Amino acid sequence: MQGSRRHFLLGAGGCAACMSGLGHARVLDTELQPLIDVGYEPVDTDERGMWQSMEKIEETIQASPQRLNNPELQSYTGGVIEQLLGQEVPDLRLYLIRSAMFNASMFPTGMMIINTGLLARIRNEAQYAAVLGHEAGHYYRKHSIERYRSIRTKTAAMSWFSAAASVGAGVNSMSSYGGADWIYAASLINTAVTMSMFQFSRNQEAEADAYGITLMAKAGYAPDAASKIWEQLIEERKASAEQHNKRYKDRSTSLVSTHPPSEDRMKDLGDTAAYLSGRSSLAPTDRRDEWLAAIAPHRAMLLDEQVKLNDPGASLYLVNSLAQDGWTGLLRYNEGEIYRMRGEAGDREKAAEAFAAATTFPDAPADAWRAHGYALLKAGKVEDGRNALGKYLVMNPDAKDAGVVRFTMAQ
Amino acid sequence: MVIRVMPIVAILLLLLTGCAAPQQQQTSVGFVPVNARQKIVVMRPDVAVDVLTTGGMLERREDWTLTARDNVIASLEAMQARRGAKNRVTITRTSADSDSDTLIELNQLHEVVGQAVLMHKFSPATLPTKEGVFDWTLGELAVRYGEESGYDYALFLYARDSFSSSGRVVLQAVGYLGCFVGVCAAPSGGSQTAFASLVDLKTGNLVWFNYVKSPEGDIRTQEGADVLVGTLLDTMSEPAYGNKGS
Repeated sequence: MQGSRRHFLLGAGGCAACMSGLGHARVLDTELQPLIDVGYEPVDTDERGMWQSMEKIEETIQASPQRLNNPELQSYTGGVIEQLLGQEVPDLRLYLIRSAMFNASMFPTGMMIINTGLLARIRNEAQYAAVLGHEAGHYYRKHSIERYRSIRTKTAAMSWFSAAASVGAGVNSMSSYGGADWIYAASLINTAVTMSMFQFSRNQEAEADAYGITLMAKAGYAPDAASKIWEQLIEERKASAEQHNKRYKDRSTSLVSTHPPSEDRMKDLGDTAAYLSGRSSLAPTDRRDEWLAAIAPHRAMLLDEQVKLNDPGASLYLVNSLAQDGWTGLLRYNEGEIYRMRGEAGDREKAAEAFAAATTFPDAPADAWRAHGYALLKAGKVEDGRNALGKYLVMNPDAKDAGVVRFTMAQ
Repeated sequence: MVIRVMPIVAILLLLLTGCAAPQQQQTSVGFVPVNARQKIVVMRPDVAVDVLTTGGMLERREDWTLTARDNVIASLEAMQARRGAKNRVTITRTSADSDSDTLIELNQLHEVVGQAVLMHKFSPATLPTKEGVFDWTLGELAVRYGEESGYDYALFLYARDSFSSSGRVVLQAVGYLGCFVGVCAAPSGGSQTAFASLVDLKTGNLVWFNYVKSPEGDIRTQEGADVLVGTLLDTMSEPAYGNKGS
């Protein structure tokens, strides 16, 4: 069943009729109520069918080798969801999936998917809560089934227009007028109906944004974290585009996009946050330390995934963005890797500097010592280079490349 | 290794079974009909039934799907009982949660590979590189499963059935009206698509494949499921699936 999955991001690709700067910032509806209770089970035939068709998908996700099966991160996320909703939430089932793309999705049955690419970019618990709250909004406002029903009605109408036009055209063609006008009229109407399906989806996204930010404010999270995510994402994409000598273009500013333009979302969420903050007596918190503690064991993997995409503009933006909370050996090592892989003029020196800086931190990964060692050898500092490689072997005695490293040291 | 289809096998099968084998059946070269000493596992069949909405969307029907799944399993079991229990056939009917990750992955993989076979071997989009060749495989995953389970062959079955909603039927009628005035664009109705593969768990290769595509049939009834399972599997050489009381 198509269209039953709701993404956090992912605009549609096509851009037949691009428009930008359409919307003005507005305060989103902060009075939305959940449409379903705890333990909700569908009764309607179409919704039961939709849930049934989701079983196989969830089974596949469960068994997927792409899944990041980490109980700590899982239970931490569960805790944030409970904090957001102010109660136990047995109906939402979270799956962490190893994909470097920034995205999250919600299925109508309560299956929620979070990509590692999203975890890599989140800066504090409030931002995480913004994403989780948005996805919860899709679930509690029953967006999948509503959208499906809307599409079903509209596709039926379109079929009728087409069928009627065929008959009309046939009748007309027997007269002297010809029947092309009928077909043309039906295709105009059907184009308008198709566009309205995308508008329906964009409205749902705005509603999920509204639902999520309201939950955040109620739970005491700083609501401006939601618009901050979009700010970070837009800046990252600009950095990526600049690196590729391209102009930044928001993929979701099209009439056939399922999501509203990123900039509009950023502004709407920003204004709504200001409105909510004015009404709240709670001192809002972003719970950055809690987030950093939860994500620390996974940062190396998350950064590795991103750096290997070989998108140096985006990767450098990310590393620098995370470094606003303080540089670490891991961040410096990845900075060096980005320069090393980019390989532009001067990058070798920049990489060497970053690797050297990495090794001054107590959390420097073993790989940083190896990279530092090779950089020193290339610079002709043989003794220091050998020492650094030696340190690598001490830290990682079972390294697969231990033989090669020893060979290099013996040269 | 590229394996050519051996027409001789098909002709042999025709003689053995004594009835016209549908042309779509495919076997790989060197396919030796499975003998009674070998163990076959029949995977949990992947069955679903949809209603075709007026606008042409497929909408899953839970009640029809559950009934059809039970019917197909019953047909498989009945076929097995008819053919005698000499060879060792296991029909898995475990529910999703007791299935291992490997079985889920294998079923998923079979669906993808089977769709590829349909697309590239039996559609207008046939690949020239697949002409006279039948060399699809489920690969290492299937081999590993064979080693772990001790089975020699696995039989997979995938079936989708759909039925027009009343709105769709009326729409079709209007579409046919157009035919009388010269613009004939009648929308399609529900249909049945099913395929089955026998996988050699020593190599992972699909050694036998058959499919059904039909605007008729109804697996929501036991008779309909029997017809589908019979059409799909009856053409497999006798010992491949069962052993008539010998």
